[in-house]
Amino acid sequence: MEGSKVTTWRTPRMCDDYWSEFKLCKSISNYFHHYYTYGTSPSCQQWKEDYYHCREWEKHGSTEAKEALQKSERKRVAEQRNFTPVWELRREPPRDWHLPLDQEGPQDS
Amino acid sequence: MDQTKQEEDYGYDLFPERKPRTKKLTLAQSLFTFNHKCQVMLNFAMETSPYAKLLLSAMKNSGCQAFKDRHFSCEDCDGTVSGGFDAASSQIVLCQNNVHQQAHMNRVVTHELIHAFDHCRAKVDWFNNYRHLACSEIRAANLSGDCSFTNELTRFNFGLKEHHQECVRGRALRSILAVRKISREEAEKIVDEVFDSCFNDHAPFGRIPHSRKEAKFANRDYANRDRYYANL
Repeated sequence: MEGSKVTTWRTPRMCDDYWSEFKLCKSISNYFHHYYTYGTSPSCQQWKEDYYHCREWEKHGSTEAKEALQKSERKRVAEQRNFTPVWELRREPPRDWHLPLDQEGPQDS
Repeated sequence: MDQTKQEEDYGYDLFPERKPRTKKLTLAQSLFTFNHKCQVMLNFAMETSPYAKLLLSAMKNSGCQAFKDRHFSCEDCDGTVSGGFDAASSQIVLCQNNVHQQAHMNRVVTHELIHAFDHCRAKVDWFNNYRHLACSEIRAANLSGDCSFTNELTRFNFGLKEHHQECVRGRALRSILAVRKISREEAEKIVDEVFDSCFNDHAPFGRIPHSRKEAKFANRDYANRDRYYANL
């Protein structure tokens, strides 16, 4: 059900966050960590583009900038989810998480 | 099932203080163990490590707020093990006799919190499903900083290109073999089966945090997640 407030679109992250991610990505230590983990050099260009799109949206409200930014972030989310989980996720936390220690019953998974 | 056999099967013999008995510390235990030092380091880790803070925050939001007195326990452990997660009592065990430096404590707390986080958000069958156990161990080795270049150097494991992955595999294997009675070949096979999936599961960090700065960025992203997902 829609509330009476109209929510205007905001950039997913603050523009400065894109820039700081870009700077971190370009750093020597990140290059090293990326090579140590994946055996390749990191690609950082997308962060820079996202920063410029973000600024573009802030200054001029450009629809192209907004869409480009959304597309880029959706791609990032998809990359983070690009695996088949080994387990089933819970809908609620485990029942015995908050039980006091003395009352811990027999194993009950 | 026979109590002793159960203890051996699930690695409880590494944690002799987990046997049911009174938890109250005697004066001798207070004076002659590292219990107080462990508590102080644990406190510091929970308050200052961006890795730990993010995990605690994520767990709280999933309904598993972790309390120091209930969910953490500093104990003497056997061998060289640094810590463990006891799913039966929902407790993180910290080995006060084997963890003596703050950086090490930070890492152990992060590692065990990852297990606790997995326990909280997924139906992990710790005791019967080795794939689940392997997956959580892969994630913990991957995301806690266990396999950083410098940590590997201190273990005299010299490697560079993609060595992180090799380290994660190796440590996951060691962790499984330490707490379950299966053959090395069987354990390797299980790790291989789940590796690709679990190595790429970076929850709740959203990345592999290789440094304190990256962990802080991950914290920032997590704090910002409502705005992020609302504007995708």
